[in-house]
Amino acid sequence: MVSVEIVKRYPGFTLDVRWTAEKSVVGLFGPSGAGKTLTLQCLAGLIRPDAGRIVVGDRVFFDADASIALSPQARRIGYVFQGYALFPHLTVEENVGFGLRDRSRGERARRSAEVIERLGLVGLARRYPRELSGGQRQRVALGRALAIDPALLLLDEPLSALDAPLRRTLRDELRETLTGWGTPAVVVTHDFTEAYRLADRIVVYESGRVIQSAPRAELLWQPASEAVARIMGLRNVLRGTVVKATPERIQLSWRGQTLEAVNSPTRSYLPPPMSPIAFFIRPEYVRLIRKDRGTPDPQHHMNLMSGRLVGEADFGTVWTLRLRLDAPGEPAQGDFDLEVEVPHLVYEILEIERDRHWQLSIHRGSIHVLPA
Amino acid sequence: MDMFPLWLSLRVALTATALTLVIGIPVALLLARRRFPGKNVLEAAVVLPLVLPPTVLGYYLLLVIGSRGPVGRALAALGLELAFTWGAAVLAACVGSIALVIKSAQAGFEGVDRQLEQAARTLGRSEWSVFWSVTLPLAWRAVLAGGVLAFCRALGEFGITLMVAGNIPGRTQTLPLAIYDRVQGAQMGEANALALIAVAVVVVLLFGLSRVARLRY
Repeated sequence: MVSVEIVKRYPGFTLDVRWTAEKSVVGLFGPSGAGKTLTLQCLAGLIRPDAGRIVVGDRVFFDADASIALSPQARRIGYVFQGYALFPHLTVEENVGFGLRDRSRGERARRSAEVIERLGLVGLARRYPRELSGGQRQRVALGRALAIDPALLLLDEPLSALDAPLRRTLRDELRETLTGWGTPAVVVTHDFTEAYRLADRIVVYESGRVIQSAPRAELLWQPASEAVARIMGLRNVLRGTVVKATPERIQLSWRGQTLEAVNSPTRSYLPPPMSPIAFFIRPEYVRLIRKDRGTPDPQHHMNLMSGRLVGEADFGTVWTLRLRLDAPGEPAQGDFDLEVEVPHLVYEILEIERDRHWQLSIHRGSIHVLPA
Repeated sequence: MDMFPLWLSLRVALTATALTLVIGIPVALLLARRRFPGKNVLEAAVVLPLVLPPTVLGYYLLLVIGSRGPVGRALAALGLELAFTWGAAVLAACVGSIALVIKSAQAGFEGVDRQLEQAARTLGRSEWSVFWSVTLPLAWRAVLAGGVLAFCRALGEFGITLMVAGNIPGRTQTLPLAIYDRVQGAQMGEANALALIAVAVVVVLLFGLSRVARLRY
């Protein structure tokens, strides 16, 4: 178990976070400058917090009240730095064995060999870091950190040094390594997909604070607030006014339309009528209505609206369409109201290129309310 | 020809270089890695011997180590004498050359990625071990360059040495002093020979340094 409670003040920035995680992989996710790396440095003992308490497993690493502050050397933490920080003057073998100095020569060689073998670095043992590819460097950095049998593994943007195609492969490889070794880990990333792929629990950071901490699936479907939704990069994060809220449904008014949404799964969010409310609509869940099947039936098509295409972008396999509702008034997102995503095939079948005016409908389950 | 000035100069320069390395490396590490009050003052003090006239430096040193100076009196109480001995020549060479070691080593240490040192710490290595296995191996070229420059500077030291060690033939007359002496005495042949030796020693050293510096780690 990892339990973190840190206050660290700098001029113009204060880190004030608290989160806990069971034995698993935790992702610290948020924009750069939010304090994620600083948290890792505090965990590793490289920076001393002003206040708080850090417990890993049954060991207290730091406790401001009890004046406990273990040195980095005493913590036995495996730290994979951003850019890896491999020792350029040492071979792969020497890098991996660097943390085993207190063991006997034989034991050191045995452990290094074992780690090198498990990470698929056999044959590279005598190479220097500059002679390795990005992916191999990552494995050496992991090996060096894992060789000491760390109580906790820290990874700072482990994939940021790699180019896009390699990134995806190594993301999956890293996930396997993490599950395979079973060492509890904390991964810092500013990429939500990466956080989702690597971590079991995701802690969302924003300017020095934790704004949500949840299992990854819960975060994906139930961002706790508008701020979380925006940091996750969700599209169509919108603001309306509450008409009526019950534990099952929330009716809200937006751009002159009355929309019906399913209430948050906790069913406990009951804002009073007329209060502002934030919500988001995933662009791939907006349905364009075919014109060759008769007039749409409001009973069948929930949240029926109509609008005109004002922009579109081709992303190779999908098109992103920008729609402006027919309703009068300023559009919600600059010059458009909604982003809609359609696969190429749908784009062709519906002849969207030719036909620029559409009716659309959104299932109430696809309008996600963001509690304030 | 009397070769004593050459041997004395080599002995003085070697001893001085060893001393400047022992003192200079910790100071360089301090300046490169720590922040502390008075750091600016220390940085300025380090550069001072490079910019002050050597005779001025020598004059102040003599005030300190001379028979009436505080250090001179303390040494005299122990039955020791520093002024006008070859020890004073070593001191003069140290003062004249330590800035070269410190500035060069400091730049070398500053060029070592701090993250590498932090990585070593998280891997359980003590500060001492971090220095010997990470910082120094990555900065050794700069340290060596500083050492060689300091040696050359010590070999050529003239002004400070003249003030604190004098120009006593067979005792404190180093190579540069001997050359000056021969020229004054119009012994141009000997002056020429000694000057050529000085040039040869320095050229060989600098050439060797450039060869070594091309090695990787």
